[in-house]
Formats: sequence, structure tokens, C-alpha cells
Amino acid sequence: MGFSPRQAPVFLAAIFAPSILLVGLFIVYPVVNSVGLAFTDASPLSSGRSFVGLENFVYLLEDGEFWEVLWNTVFIVGAATIIATACGYGLATLLISGIRAAAIFRAAIFQVWVVPWIVIAILWGWLFSQDYGLVNYLLMQVGLIETPVKWMFDQKASQWAIISGYAWRAIPFIMVICLAALQGIPSELVESAAIDGASFLQRQRYVILPLMQNIILVAALLQAVRFFQEMTMIFVLTQGGPVNATMVLSLYTYKTAFEDWDFGLASAIGTVWLILLMAFALLYVRVALRRNLA
Amino acid sequence: MNAEALRTGSKPLPRRRSEVVYRLSRLATSISLHALVVASLAILLLPIVWMLSTSFKPLADVFSYPPQFIPRNPTVESYTTQFTGLLGRYFLNSVIVGLLSAILATGAGALAAYGLSRYRLPGRNAILMFFMASLAFPIPLLMISMYLMFVQLGLLNTYIGLVIGHTVITLPVCVWLLKNFFDQLPVEVEEAAFVDGASRAYTLFRIVLPMARPALGASAIFVFVTSWNELLFGLTFVSSTSMRPLPAGISMSFLTEFEGAWSEMMALSVMVSLPIFLLFTVFQRTFMSGVTAGAVKG
Repeated sequence: MGFSPRQAPVFLAAIFAPSILLVGLFIVYPVVNSVGLAFTDASPLSSGRSFVGLENFVYLLEDGEFWEVLWNTVFIVGAATIIATACGYGLATLLISGIRAAAIFRAAIFQVWVVPWIVIAILWGWLFSQDYGLVNYLLMQVGLIETPVKWMFDQKASQWAIISGYAWRAIPFIMVICLAALQGIPSELVESAAIDGASFLQRQRYVILPLMQNIILVAALLQAVRFFQEMTMIFVLTQGGPVNATMVLSLYTYKTAFEDWDFGLASAIGTVWLILLMAFALLYVRVALRRNLA
Repeated sequence: MNAEALRTGSKPLPRRRSEVVYRLSRLATSISLHALVVASLAILLLPIVWMLSTSFKPLADVFSYPPQFIPRNPTVESYTTQFTGLLGRYFLNSVIVGLLSAILATGAGALAAYGLSRYRLPGRNAILMFFMASLAFPIPLLMISMYLMFVQLGLLNTYIGLVIGHTVITLPVCVWLLKNFFDQLPVEVEEAAFVDGASRAYTLFRIVLPMARPALGASAIFVFVTSWNELLFGLTFVSSTSMRPLPAGISMSFLTEFEGAWSEMMALSVMVSLPIFLLFTVFQRTFMSGVTAGAVKG
């Protein structure tokens, strides 16, 4: 399958040139260069830069703030991904259960995916406003809270306000992927399980989820990767506060680089981030391979 | 329950009763399912409804208690007061950067994806893995060196700098999406064209790419939307107010200016969402078919 590259070397060079140029100049070179900067005290504010060895890394790992940021990131991204995946899968299951007007419901839910992050940031500021916010009003009406929550001034509350925004925005994406995969499951499989007397939960547990688990995992991972890089909401709403409660890795690196102008330290943070990513990817590939072999 | 009814078919009375019970339970299930969908939809869409509702209220009604879901004194004042030169400029900047990025990323991505799909290149899987992995690269790490490069090249405060930034963060997805599409296209079409004496370039540009229009459209929409959303490059690579795209411009100047003026903030939010909403509504079918073709196979 496929043509041999020897038939058309010039043509191939021409069609690959633009992306090689873009990727080489603006992805590969910057990443390599930035990893190099992690071993220097580079800053745009001073003209010279000198090699400082592992100083940035030592500072980072001994500084409690970095570990705090790392934990916040894992908590916020993890919680948002789990909530979005559970809700997205649940909605997909609902929409495929033979209800009327499923296409209209799907299109309506899809509108959430269309809302730009900057709009979510502003909208969440209004929804979670302390005195006039809808969220506090509804929670008090239902009786879950007695006094308004100071969403942006309480450490735990601000984390959950951010998590809810992330999860809300991601639900349609997970739903669309799960819906496409659920429609691909042969209906005879599910029906024969039903005839054999399997209840709804048993069908989920023994028939549908085993078939779906890989695609759910991939969708959740893709979403988690996007959450790691997303910071518009946090930048606009909390700037990482209160007391660093919503400071995540991306905002922390950005602020170190472009507010403190400490390119050396910021590159070190980014490099640790890169190493963690690679370790995680390696682990994932291993688990995936083992599962395929078994 | 059906099987039970069949087995006891000789006795007419229990069969009929169980049939009624069966129908009733089906109806109950159906009603509760519909109720569940409507309830989840209401919760999910509540923020959007609230945004629209607030944007049409005069400021006095915004803080009324209990909250009004349907504005009692609807007005479009919050929209009309915002047509200032600066906001228009932000929109223009975002549209220009978004369109140029969409063309560049989709174009470069399509060419590479075609090569990766059709030619037995050494290390093809490694290249694809690299593209996939680069999706997760820490963008701020990338930006540090890009910033230093752009200072030297004089690309700060230009559209080109932003377009390059938005292109490289979306190019990997474009390549993946388009490669999956080309993989599904029968290779016989091109072989027939070659036999007829068409050149490789002619075949690609006149035969293959026109067939790939849905996937190219999906890819371009994806790039445009990502660019419309992107905040970091806009903050970092642009320091002059008039060159900022929407997210950076809004977060730097409008947020402090409109502090507490929620009806105006919501009107602004509606206007920023509208282009993306229209894009998806008009091209929904294109986008869905393009994306799911890529997602399910990939």
C-alpha cells in the first residue's frame, strides 16, 4: 500500500517543506532552546546570560510553591476531566436510549462547546458573583447553603468554581465522541444481553463499558491535555489566587516568564512539565501495550 | 417479561395483565428518560440563558431580587453602547489572525497529511507520534524562545507573529485529521489519473484536494476557533493595545472598565460568541462528518 517515495522525491520535498519549516523553526527549535535556557539565568531585562547548572531546578524542587502548583493542577484538571467524562458519557447513553428528538437535544447541548473561553471566564464571574450571582441564589433556594459563598475569596470554593467551568465546557466534546462510538456498537449484542435478562446496569457493566473503555480513555486524555494548557478562566477570574489556590502549571510558567521576566526559572518549570508529560506518555503506552497483548 | 407471557400463553388472563404491566413500565421508563434529558439540558444551558437574559436588561434590573429570567424591561442598550472603535478593532484583529492561521495551518497540514497518507516514508509512524505528542507540549515553554526569536525578527506587535503562533499549535491536529481522511480515500482514483498522464501536483490539487473539501473545512474551522479562543500569544507577543486580538484585548482593557456593569459584560460576551456560533451552525454537518471520520478511525 502507498507509493514509493523514490518515484517523486521533488514532489515530496515540496509538499513537506511548509510543515517542516514551521515545525522545525517554531516547535522543535524553541523547545530545545528553552530546555537549554533552563540551565541559565536568562532574562530579557539583562543583556548577558550565564550558565548556572542545575540551580533553577534545585530552587524549584526545594520551593514549596512549585509542589503546591503541581498538586493544584492535578486536582483541578483531574476533577474537571472526571466530571466531564462521567456527564458526557451519561448524556450520550441517554440520547441513544431511543428518546424522541434526540438530534435536537444533541444540537442544543453542542452549543456549550461553541462558547469561547474568554466568555466562560466573564460569564462565570457573573454566575459566581458573591452578592447577586445566580449560583449562590439557586444554592440558597434549594437549601444547600445558608449564607452566600465567597466563591473567589475562598480557596476550596474558587477551585470548584474553576472546575465547574472547565467541566461544563468539555461535556459536549466527550458526549459527541461517546455518541459516535455507542452508535458503532452492534445492537444485537445489547439486545441479546437484554433478552438473557441482563438489567440496564448489568448491560452497561458487562457489555457496553468493556467495548467503550478505550475510546472513553482516549477522549478523557485528550481533554485533560487541553485542560493542562488552558488558563483563560483562571487568568481573568482569580489570577491564580486566593493564596495560590487556583495557580496551575500553565499560569505559573507564564507569570514567571512574562511577569517576573525570569526566563531561566520559567524554562526550568516548563522542562519539568515536559519530563512529567513524557513519563506519563511512556506509562500510558506501556499499559496500552500490555492490555493489547493480554 | 415477554418470554414469560409467551410461555403462559395458554391462560389468557395473566397474559393480558402482564402485557398491560409491560406497556405501563415501558411508558414510565420513557417518561422518566425524557424528564432526565430535559432536566440535564436545562442545567447545561442555564449559563447561556442567563448570559442572554442579563444582556437585554437595563442595569437597574440586573441586580433585582429574586432574579428575572425573562427581562421585564428588555433593551438593547448594552449592545449599542459598545460599538466603539476599540472593540471593532479587536474583532478585526481576531478575524484577520484567525483566517490567515486557518489558511496556513490547513494548507501546510493538508500537503504533509497527503504525503504521510500516500507514501511509504521511513519513520512515518514516528512522525505521526511526534505530531500527536506535540499537542501536549507546554505552550509557555515554547513561547519563551519564540518571544526571543520574535524580538530579533521584529515580529512582536504584528499579525504575522500571532499567525505563526496559532498555526504551530494547531498544525498537529490538522495533519492528524486530514491524514485520517486521506486514508479513507480510495487510492485507485490517483492511480487512474497517473495512468492518464496527470502529474503528481495536478492530481493532488485538481483531484484529491477538491474531494477533501469536508475535511479541509473541518480543519479550517478548528484552527479558526482555536485562534479565536487563544489568550496567551495575544498577551505576550502584542503590547500595543490596537493590535490585540479579542481575548487579550478584553482581559486587558474591558474587564476593569466595565467592573460590575454586568449587562454590558454579557452583551460583550454574546457578541464574542456569535461568530463562532454562526460558523458552527452553518457548517455543522461539514464539521461533524470531518471530525468524526478522523476521531473514530484514529
